[in-house]
Amino acid sequence: MKAKPLSQDPGSKRYAYRINKEGNRKELKHVKIDESSLVQEGQKIDLPKKRYYRQRAHSNPFSDHQLEYPASPQDMDWSKLYPYYKDAETDQMTKKVTIADIGCGFGGLMIDLSPAFPEELILGMEIRVQVTNYVEDRIIALRNNTASKHGFQNINVLRGNAMKFLPNFFEKGQLSKMFFCFPDPHFKQRKHKARIITNTLLSEYAYVLKEGGVVYTITDVKDLHEWMVKHLEEHPLFKRLSKEWEDNDKCVKIMTNATEEGKKVERKKGDKFVACFTRLPTPSIL
Amino acid sequence: MTLIHPLQNILTSRDGSLVFAIVKNCIISFKYQSSNHWDFVGQWSDNFDKAQDVKVNVAKEQQRQISENENKNKKLKSNKGDSITKAEAKIPSPGIGAPPIYSYIRNLKLTPDESKLIACADSDKSVLIFDVDKTSKSNVLKLTKRFSFPKRPNAISIADDGATIIVADKFGDVYSIGIDSNPKEKFTQEPILGHVSMLTDVHMIKDSDGRQFIITCDRDEHIKISHYPQCYIVDKWLFGHKHFVSSICCDENNMLLSAGGDDRIFSWDWKTGVNLSSFEYSDLIKPYLNDQHLAPSRFQNEENNLIEFAVSKIVKLSGLPFVAFFVEATKCIIILEISRKDKGKLSLKQVITLPYNVISLSTQNNELQVTLDNQKSPNIQNNFAKFIQYDSSDNKFVVNDKKSTKFDDAIRQSIQGDSNLDAEKEDIYPLYNISSLRKHGEHYS
Repeated sequence: MKAKPLSQDPGSKRYAYRINKEGNRKELKHVKIDESSLVQEGQKIDLPKKRYYRQRAHSNPFSDHQLEYPASPQDMDWSKLYPYYKDAETDQMTKKVTIADIGCGFGGLMIDLSPAFPEELILGMEIRVQVTNYVEDRIIALRNNTASKHGFQNINVLRGNAMKFLPNFFEKGQLSKMFFCFPDPHFKQRKHKARIITNTLLSEYAYVLKEGGVVYTITDVKDLHEWMVKHLEEHPLFKRLSKEWEDNDKCVKIMTNATEEGKKVERKKGDKFVACFTRLPTPSIL
Repeated sequence: MTLIHPLQNILTSRDGSLVFAIVKNCIISFKYQSSNHWDFVGQWSDNFDKAQDVKVNVAKEQQRQISENENKNKKLKSNKGDSITKAEAKIPSPGIGAPPIYSYIRNLKLTPDESKLIACADSDKSVLIFDVDKTSKSNVLKLTKRFSFPKRPNAISIADDGATIIVADKFGDVYSIGIDSNPKEKFTQEPILGHVSMLTDVHMIKDSDGRQFIITCDRDEHIKISHYPQCYIVDKWLFGHKHFVSSICCDENNMLLSAGGDDRIFSWDWKTGVNLSSFEYSDLIKPYLNDQHLAPSRFQNEENNLIEFAVSKIVKLSGLPFVAFFVEATKCIIILEISRKDKGKLSLKQVITLPYNVISLSTQNNELQVTLDNQKSPNIQNNFAKFIQYDSSDNKFVVNDKKSTKFDDAIRQSIQGDSNLDAEKEDIYPLYNISSLRKHGEHYS
């Protein structure tokens, strides 16, 4: 008989760890963490350990995953992800998400963006379950451990398929920045539609981006970089930003150095290819 | 007597004089004479040889691999060290138990001037363009062009000017082809827009300012409205469906109706994006449900009573405030009235019970054309199709029995014994494909 994977073996450390974290997550995921709750708990939460969240590196974006997504942007309850920004009196959110990290992986980019953009809500979307769990646990721990400063209240993650359901989350022109960091390269030609940048998906990204908003891309795969640049350049609603602009943009710096993938490429002394594009004004309708 | 295969789809010309129907991989055509008589006036079979297509692809792939290996400098060598040349590529042939391959023909559409008939063929994933010669007595259909696509076309729409066909495929991409353009040797076209989901229907419409839009719907819950020809500008999405969307139709006053895996029909103002109302039909359909509506065993519950049903097709009668739809594998057509005062409000007009399960539904003027799964006909096979007309004096829909019976007669007389159109029970094409679009996400991680 085939041995059960560690994650399903009740005797394994990984199993125990995941069960424990899941309980923790259920309890704290949607809770507003602040000083008062910390006094009650009176303890720090350890940052999650990556080795307990191993998962296959790829996920098929075309399959019918068990996903939770709102029926429309109006139906989305953002206060569960950003409880700190819910006005207790009006029951309304005081801010909207304006920065999206598509395929946020282990969340490194968001964690560095959080203090850099304290006035903006940042959302990471990730399709792999365990990786999403890791980021959730990481954010819970970070929020808890910086509760006195209200740190990391402006970031969160959700498990989703951005290629299919992005418009379910965001209204027209809601986003000012979208990040595509080290996406799955899908080398095979017949898999190219599975790439996160295609000419048809770019029209949907242009819809959720406001005019003047920016698409950031970074990859260590030259072929993919060229593909993304080609498609973004060909799209009538995007224009590439200059090298000079890139050099002066703080997000480019963070993106190049903060993400886990970025660090891995650094260790392996690989190349990093950056390309940024601005969302052009919508032309008059014919 | 052998069984004539049930009609998979039917389309009539605007004046009702010409009827096209799909039987297996054939399009047959009849002329309706004023003397209440049908003449058999045309037939076209899709005899595209798929094996040939596969052969070409296999050879291409072999060439590609050989050149790739050469590039990598990994020349194939035998044990002795001499290079060997590879034998001709083997053409894979389906083994025993492999699912049968059907050469479906889908989506019959006439151009606005009715000079051309457009259809989609599964065999080579192509869009077919026929010249329609209404005066011809021997064969009104002449295939003029065949545009092959990388993925299977699933729905088409023709622009008002009749010059452009919009093709939506099963992979989620939408292409535009000029009717007067010619098919290219190699497919190089880029999609004009796309979903990351199987597309189920597409409509091209104009607003009151003459601006054009493309409405597409998919196997997720999305209905997307894009501008045309600036297809890269998404106008909006219409949110409300909880299950797949299978069919949409349009009305004057910017109204759009949509249906699919939900237990309700939605009406929208597509211009403002407002969901005007919805009509729940689950109680209405209950008496017509049967074992075919039990969920597939792998998604079934422990009590074995999980029922799933879905609307296969919804059509709007032009010039009349009615929409008609049917639920897959049921014996009825449900007609709803669209309120003109209370914009978009839907109410039940009439339910028409038919002798067999409905396979397809289409409309022209004040008439609905329905084809039926008449495999279980007694000795003399009848009930191929029903023509249902709106009688304005009685203000209700009635089946035109005379026309329908005469049509059955014509079918039997003209194609009985044609081995292309006969079918043993076991090689009837699958006629019920909509329910399989339902996603069962809860069963996947």
